[in-house]
Amino acid sequence: MKPFRRRAGWPVDGPTDGMSSVVLRTAIRLILPLTFMYAVYAALKGHNGPGGGFIAGLVAAVGLCTYRMSYGDRAFHRMLPLHPRWLVFGGLGLAGSVAALPLTFGRPLLRSAATTVHVGGADVHLVSSTAFDMGVLLVVVGVAIGMINRLDEEVER
Amino acid sequence: MNEMVTAGPLLPLVAVALPVATGLVAMVLGGRRRRTAMVLVAAAGPALTLVLLAIHLQRHGVADAGAATTALPWVPSLHLDISFLVDGLATFFALLVAGVGVAVVLYSRAYFGPDDAALARFLPSLGFFTTAMLGVVLADHLLLTVLFWEITSISSFLLIGWERDDPEAGRRAMQAFATTGLGGLALLGGVLLFGGATDVWQWSQLADGSTTVNPDGAVVAAFVLMFVGAAAKSAQWPLHDWLPGAMRAPTPISAYLHSATMVKAGVFLVARMLPVFGGLAIWVPLVSAVGATTMLLGAVLALRQHDLKRIFAYTTVSHLGLLMAVYGLGGTTDGHGDPAIGWDLTQVASHALYKAPLFLAAGALGVLVGAKRLPDLFGLWSRSRGGTRASLLVLLVAGYALAGGPGTLAFTAKELFLEAVDQAAAGRPAVLLIGLAGVAAATCNVAIFVRLTTTVLGLRNGIAPDATVPSPAAAPRTADRWSVLLWAPAGAMVGLQVLGGLVPMVWSAVFRPLEAYRHADGLPAPLAPFLHPGLPLFLSLTALAAGTALGLSSWARSEVTDPHSRLWPAIYRGILRGGHRAFHTVQTGHVRLYLTVVFGALLVGIGWATWADPDMIRLPKGISPLESTTGLLLGAVVCATAIALPLVVERVVRVLVLGASGFAVVGLYLLYQAPDLALTQLMFEIISVILFLLVLRLLPRPDKRPRIRVLPRLALASVVGLTIGWMTLLAGHAAEQRVDEPTLGTFFEAHSLGGSQITDGRGGEGRNIVNVILVDFRGFDTLGEITVLATAALGVWSMLPGRRRHHDRLTVDPDTSAASGPETISEAGS
Repeated sequence: MKPFRRRAGWPVDGPTDGMSSVVLRTAIRLILPLTFMYAVYAALKGHNGPGGGFIAGLVAAVGLCTYRMSYGDRAFHRMLPLHPRWLVFGGLGLAGSVAALPLTFGRPLLRSAATTVHVGGADVHLVSSTAFDMGVLLVVVGVAIGMINRLDEEVER
Repeated sequence: MNEMVTAGPLLPLVAVALPVATGLVAMVLGGRRRRTAMVLVAAAGPALTLVLLAIHLQRHGVADAGAATTALPWVPSLHLDISFLVDGLATFFALLVAGVGVAVVLYSRAYFGPDDAALARFLPSLGFFTTAMLGVVLADHLLLTVLFWEITSISSFLLIGWERDDPEAGRRAMQAFATTGLGGLALLGGVLLFGGATDVWQWSQLADGSTTVNPDGAVVAAFVLMFVGAAAKSAQWPLHDWLPGAMRAPTPISAYLHSATMVKAGVFLVARMLPVFGGLAIWVPLVSAVGATTMLLGAVLALRQHDLKRIFAYTTVSHLGLLMAVYGLGGTTDGHGDPAIGWDLTQVASHALYKAPLFLAAGALGVLVGAKRLPDLFGLWSRSRGGTRASLLVLLVAGYALAGGPGTLAFTAKELFLEAVDQAAAGRPAVLLIGLAGVAAATCNVAIFVRLTTTVLGLRNGIAPDATVPSPAAAPRTADRWSVLLWAPAGAMVGLQVLGGLVPMVWSAVFRPLEAYRHADGLPAPLAPFLHPGLPLFLSLTALAAGTALGLSSWARSEVTDPHSRLWPAIYRGILRGGHRAFHTVQTGHVRLYLTVVFGALLVGIGWATWADPDMIRLPKGISPLESTTGLLLGAVVCATAIALPLVVERVVRVLVLGASGFAVVGLYLLYQAPDLALTQLMFEIISVILFLLVLRLLPRPDKRPRIRVLPRLALASVVGLTIGWMTLLAGHAAEQRVDEPTLGTFFEAHSLGGSQITDGRGGEGRNIVNVILVDFRGFDTLGEITVLATAALGVWSMLPGRRRHHDRLTVDPDTSAASGPETISEAGS
């Protein structure tokens, strides 16, 4: 598929839509990676602390939306060169398969499994529902930016 | 019976599944060069089914009882398992379905001719139907029968609506589906009622008559419902109109579904029910009266048709009525205390063995000379040669059987029916009415045969073509070596018909073991009625004479339409109009009306509950609203913004005010130490403000009309707001009221980290209770919620008008746009 071969990177100079506030643009370039990092952190930590897939998805979506607002849709398309529906389908597929996985072991739907892995000196507690949460994250991100994309296109028309 | 080994369900299961499997293989094979291979593969399916059934019978013998296979558990909680009952009745119908199936597949090769696409579509559809039909007759479990029953409705819908560009075909398919599908629902209701009342779910427990059912109200109601299902499927009055309508389908489909097999499903069901419900007082009046009415009506209408397929369709309706009446009389007894029914399967076979050839020959004539109506055939015999003449011959011989002429199986069958009437009439004189209806129907059938013959031979009494109507442009297809299949399968069936009539010993040898009611020693010889003349022979000869006279007379020759054919369109229109009216009454498009209804209902509900239990809304003691000053302050902000909302005029400001309200709620969450909720609410507020601002630009300008009925709406809003607020306050403290029971809060606190016996190992070993609830305890809810989210997004993407062109513009790389032209990004994924 062509879109995936396209270079996904930061926008180069050129005509872009969006707001022309230099401060906002510069700030977003710093904030966006942090937003993603926090989203991943919140999603992984969600099981034992404040966070979770839904929140993480919203955080990431807010970051992406702000980026889109400041740089315009062309730059946004270049950064995320696939339709948000693939995020939604992927997320739904991931969550659904994690939910259905226990069935193959003869256990009820959505029964989660947990294990502790020793990495170096630390114990890492792995829970299968984290993967389920990742599915939720993808769906939330896809739906939010997909809807905003679509409505914005409608407005720009 | 050779040995008492219980048969496994695998062999019948394969036998049932074979036709659809080979049909699909044929579809995959589809191609110009492989047309013959396609047909042979598709015909191999039902043929192998026959072989497998023969193997099964050879191993286990035909037994009326104990022929059920062992069960393959499927859904034990619904009492549903896969097991088959291969007794005489089922075997006979399976032979009929598979045998006629082979003939029709071969015929379709010649009928569709060089049309590859039609064959590739037809063969799997037909295989699907054959499988469903085999399932209906072989299933042992009541619910399995219902399941296959509905599949026959679906596959027949696909087949009747074969001509996709013909709106009439679509309407007729819908009518057939609605009638038989609703009948199927009645059958399901009857089966559930019966199973619930008696806890008997297998035909095998019922077929041998060892299980007696208590004729109480539930059982009678169950029987009536099941009979409605059977009557809808078998086109009994007043539900018969779908069957003539289904003649829009191509001829192989009409021949297979609407004469030989599917419409026999209802007859089959009644045959299955006879040992169970035959003793009910309602059985004889209901089944035989409906059957006799249908028989008479169908025959009279058949006489008044000119379209070949419609003639045969109405005679089918008539004969299905006769079969119903046969089984209806099975509930009575003759002088010896035996049921007044004999050789019922031969009755069914005799019909299939002349009706399918009639249809096949009519279709062949349509292909060969373009004849679709009776006048088109006028004098065709002398002009015909080769395949056309063979088809005409088949048509005439099958028509002779339709008339019940001596020397055919149909004659024997008719004698048996009249004999049963004679026997049953000894106890109930009213049964003689059925005999009279039978004679009238036979008269019509004879007249139809006489008209058919005179027309084909071009005699004076035939139905000559109307000079004003142009005769159809003959579209003779160049004959190839496959054209022989246009008439050979039909000829084989007619041959069986004559064989059964002339040499009944052969017929008896094959089919006698399958018959459940065979108190006569063998099938009567062709001359037996003449040697022992009685009332049946007298009635037969009367019908023959009257029919010949009627056929030659100029009486009742014009075409008429069935008055019942107005019934379905009227019902259909009524449903559409009713729905339209209901839609416009309920869906006014005014949000304020919807909200008024919703809130009104809420208030009424809460008011009613409060009236029943006034303590419900009493706030427990010891609660101070002044718990926290910060909370009060934030609450005040929330209230202030809420009150400000309707006062602000500008929409953008309204959105911002709404956002302010949301952020104040975030503060409240933080105050009560719910960081998860606060974070979620915060992010959600941001996104919803962005979405709102985008949507607002799409809305039309706010109109400046004066607000109407402000005061009542204000009052309603205030009351609803106060009620909801009070209820929330109560809910927040409801947990504290009950000390003796574990509350939800304590339950989740206790189990979310560890999991325990009570939760059956649930609890995802997490410290964040909210998250554990979301992904584990209530994981199914979450899965449903993200599905809803995804569906909503799909709705937004699909319902807002397409923006493909815009996307193209969007995705043009500004650097290369001049050189490379537009490239799609977002749509390229699909």
